Amino acid sequence: MKYYIKLGLILFVTCAIATGILAYLNGLTAPMIKEVKDKEAQEAQLEVTKIDENDANSYTFQPKFLQLDIKGDSLYYYVAYNQDQDKVGYVLTASKYGYSGNVKTVVGLNKEFKIKKIKVIDQAETPGLGAKCVNPDFAPRFTGLGLDELKVDKDGGTIKSITGATITTRTISNSIKESLQLLMEKEAK
Amino acid sequence: MELLSQIMIMAVGAIFINNFVLAKFLGICPYLGVSKKLDSALGMGMAVIFVMTMASAITWLIQSYLLVPFNIEYLQTIAFILTIASLVQFVEMVIQKNAPALYKSLGVFLPLITTNCAVLGVAILNLTADNGLPYNFGFSILNGFFSGVGFTVVLVLMAGIREKLEYAELPASMKGMPIALIIAGSMALAFLGFAGLKF
Amino acid sequence: MTAMKEFTKGFIKENPVFILVLGMCPTLAVTSSVKDALGMGLSATFVLLCSNIIVSLIKGIVPTKIRIPMFIVVIATFVTIVDMAMAAFMPPLHKSLGLFIPLIVVNCIILGRAEAFASKNNVFMSVMDALGMGLGFTFALVVLGTIRELLGAGKILGFPILPQVYQDSPMLVAILAPGAFITLGFILAVINLLNKRGK
Repeated sequence: MKYYIKLGLILFVTCAIATGILAYLNGLTAPMIKEVKDKEAQEAQLEVTKIDENDANSYTFQPKFLQLDIKGDSLYYYVAYNQDQDKVGYVLTASKYGYSGNVKTVVGLNKEFKIKKIKVIDQAETPGLGAKCVNPDFAPRFTGLGLDELKVDKDGGTIKSITGATITTRTISNSIKESLQLLMEKEAK
Repeated sequence: MELLSQIMIMAVGAIFINNFVLAKFLGICPYLGVSKKLDSALGMGMAVIFVMTMASAITWLIQSYLLVPFNIEYLQTIAFILTIASLVQFVEMVIQKNAPALYKSLGVFLPLITTNCAVLGVAILNLTADNGLPYNFGFSILNGFFSGVGFTVVLVLMAGIREKLEYAELPASMKGMPIALIIAGSMALAFLGFAGLKF
Repeated sequence: MTAMKEFTKGFIKENPVFILVLGMCPTLAVTSSVKDALGMGLSATFVLLCSNIIVSLIKGIVPTKIRIPMFIVVIATFVTIVDMAMAAFMPPLHKSLGLFIPLIVVNCIILGRAEAFASKNNVFMSVMDALGMGLGFTFALVVLGTIRELLGAGKILGFPILPQVYQDSPMLVAILAPGAFITLGFILAVINLLNKRGK
């Protein structure tokens, strides 16, 4: 019996040491990871809000609550203001399960809720097929569309699907549509 | 009704479209190692289904009631692998004591399961927000179960093919692992065809 | 002299992937591009090196009965460190390796070396063994990654190699799941063939 208590104690001490080391390192890296993520998100927000690449205006973003995600965390959308504090539009993050993982898109909208620019920021779709949604020729297919025009060509809409990856294209279109609908309801209030 | 269709979609997805072995590359070692004989493949498959279902349940509870409330999610890897290792040991002891017949057929496979990455894989995948499943206890367990079934299906298919292959005349350098991998590749190719099932 | 032998054996004679056929899951899953293959190989080498050192240092004080759980804790700790460091310093690589970083824990090569080598040899030899095995693993992944990226995208490390015509419609299957199995199958067959010729 004594022997087993000793074994348990040794294991416990090992785990405690491991936990201690990890807790320390987590304290170091967690803020860095958060910073990297925030920076990525900010850059994407700016990119979809700018009029073109040479737009040097500074924009500010004010978060507003959109909905809860499946884990119960809050999701936000952002109202974009230019330096004169005029409202120039909205930024929305849309996310939905595509073919083999979530496809996450940042969407820039103008004040009339028409899409200015989209950017796929996270995806794990099939290389060479669905993964083509990050190519530069994909995003412009959404430019100028409003809520009712978000439909891929296979479903009678105008958005040209990626060859061999209708699912991915439809996922992106639908995810934007769902989030946009929510945003418009919130803004109409 | 909607729940039932959700479960159906998940089952088809886990078994055919996103098969653990052929699409996600999880559990390859037992897939190649224990697929020489049909009955041992079946035994391994059953053991994996059982452990994956149990592990899905327990790791979900650990994550939701231990790691998240205490804000120690960075310990996930350690906590899960230890849980799975102890779980496998525990299951082994229980089966050995209460069902000697079952132990005889499954026993040898149980220790191998600790290092089967499909088990740890399903536990982690269940808890990522972006796996396309509703995030709750029941669906995690079901996902564990169906993923295990998917593993067993391809393992048994593979064993069936390899048993026949014993009698085939092959170039000497192709025998064993090389041809097994190429057959696995052909199976993966066939399973790609299920992609159209996505609704 | 023997130290050199422990180092080089991992590359050819006992290459973990090509000869021992271990660690198949990451080998197949993350070799669709050279960059991912290299990232995975080096992460696994780091974990292997650290775990071999620690295991070799504590081998005298670990009771045999609980050595496996203790090794697992050591490995899982280093895997978590790699996971954190990669998320902080190399976020794109962290994203593309995804699930397979925590799964280094169940990579049989690492536990295998801890059990078979580091727990019986001194620190220096264990370091040599870890470097040899780790770099041999990396080497195998890079070979596989190079072939697959070249066939499947016409590029190596993102640089275009084959003409534009090929890049526009490459042999896509090479970077999909089936291509992984089939490519490795043929590589193993060629190695078998060379081995026979050598004798």
